Amino acid sequence: MTRVMVTLTNPDQPLAGSYVPSTFYRRNALGFIGMTTIARRRSTSAILVGLLCAVAAFADEADSYNHVHTDSHPSSEFVLFASAEAHSFSTPASANQLNEDANAIGDAVFAINRGRFRLFGEYQLSNQEHDLERMQVGMEVVPDTVVWIGRFHQPASAWNTEHHHGRYLQTAITRPSIELWEDEQGIIPQHISGLLVDSRRPIGTNAGIQISAGAGLGTVVESTGLAEFDLLNPHTDGRRLSITGRIAYLPDYVGTTIFGLLFAHNDMPVRDGHTAVLLQANDVRQDLYGAFADWTDGPWQLHAALYDVAMELQNPGSSRAESFVAGYAQLERQLPHRLTAYVREENSSDAARSVYVQVNHPDFQLRRATLGLRWDFRRRQAVTAEFTHGDSVRADQDAFRLQWSAALP
Amino acid sequence: MERRIAVMARRSFRWLAVLLGALLLYGARPAMAADRLVLIASINAPVSSLNSLEIQKLFLGLTVVINGLDVHPLRNESDEAMRQLFYQDVISMSESTYERRLLALTLQQGRTAPPVFRDSRALLNAIAADPHAISYAWASEVARDGRIRILKFLGSE
Repeated sequence: MTRVMVTLTNPDQPLAGSYVPSTFYRRNALGFIGMTTIARRRSTSAILVGLLCAVAAFADEADSYNHVHTDSHPSSEFVLFASAEAHSFSTPASANQLNEDANAIGDAVFAINRGRFRLFGEYQLSNQEHDLERMQVGMEVVPDTVVWIGRFHQPASAWNTEHHHGRYLQTAITRPSIELWEDEQGIIPQHISGLLVDSRRPIGTNAGIQISAGAGLGTVVESTGLAEFDLLNPHTDGRRLSITGRIAYLPDYVGTTIFGLLFAHNDMPVRDGHTAVLLQANDVRQDLYGAFADWTDGPWQLHAALYDVAMELQNPGSSRAESFVAGYAQLERQLPHRLTAYVREENSSDAARSVYVQVNHPDFQLRRATLGLRWDFRRRQAVTAEFTHGDSVRADQDAFRLQWSAALP
Repeated sequence: MERRIAVMARRSFRWLAVLLGALLLYGARPAMAADRLVLIASINAPVSSLNSLEIQKLFLGLTVVINGLDVHPLRNESDEAMRQLFYQDVISMSESTYERRLLALTLQQGRTAPPVFRDSRALLNAIAADPHAISYAWASEVARDGRIRILKFLGSE
């Protein structure tokens, strides 16, 4: 038997002969739990990368041909959504660099199914951030009805429930501004840690209905925007309950056309003192009602959503209400030679008057027009060119982006 | 002179043999092309039939329950013609649409894609050994296999 010894260098470990603060021993005596936030994130990331590699190896083995698959054996899937982007902006990028425009992004997705048991995870790594986006454990209690526990994407987002972080699967390079993630200056909480029930039931011979509802710990408001619950650095920080859901009709149970209604309630404490002063609130209550349609007919596709966002900015003894409407419609047309042309219009009403948007989300696109062309080549690879003209509270901006995206292997 | 005639006869015979061989091969092609794709399960499977929606759900990796038992799919890619017929007659989607749907279902619901077999003998052995497994094959391949039950003829004549 061969033994391999690996020496790991701990960045927190003191050098021989140097002064050792007593806190070092206390931290290390407490082990993982007692580590500093950075050290803990580093260690957890290393563990996760190792886990992903193991899952990838397992998935490769499971995907190898000519094996017997039975319900007693788990099946697994590993997909890496990779993308690289070059861009040019007419005005300087936001001070809060958006991960949406990171030069390189890898999003590793793994799923393990064993009978009705599910384990699912999504870890994103870019030159801007790394984050465990989703980690869910589920049980399919009846066919096509899964009860999940963990951190999930809230079902009241039309775009993110369809595309999540898989950039290859969304035709456009950019996602609509109203659908941005929390760490990309998104104005609606997208990650919840708690319980999610996702159910699809057949209606008649071909149609179906989808009902999803989730509840759990939501986001808090910080100086840089919204901050979701971090599974790798789990502090509740006074987070409160978020409730979210959707009901949708599927004309074809196995198809991609879907029409539905969305709702969400988020109660978000303001954790940053300076932001609380600017907002004149220490708590933001947000209610969202929306409708969406994803429609496919031959070479044509339409993705549209409309959200009514009502907010109460609360201070002890007073509260102020504001609301706005935002939405988008993206039309796509498949062309010969595996080309797809698309155009998208985003618009909003009263968002510019919202203190919440002005203070905390100055890069929110009040209006934006997008034009793009995508070319799918080889297996699961695409190159996309996109031009946008957008108006935000901070500035008007023209942007040109060129992106390669893929789903590997 | 006789020798020349004999050589010519031998050459003619060779050409005739080549022509006959070619005709036989040509004749065999329509027979293969005329073969039908069939939905199959183990003879011990508690499944008697599946409708079109169940077949589509099955090969998208969605849960399908027949007579109270979960069934699961095995994809047969033992030859190119079968691969193409799978998209046309079984799943009723283009290859790229099917690939995207599988990716989306993994991303959206944590589903796993059906296992793929490139060797039909291994596939038939797997089907025979697993009463929960459903797949498809050429009718001629399974006609004399007593371990396999034909559930349905797929596609058109």
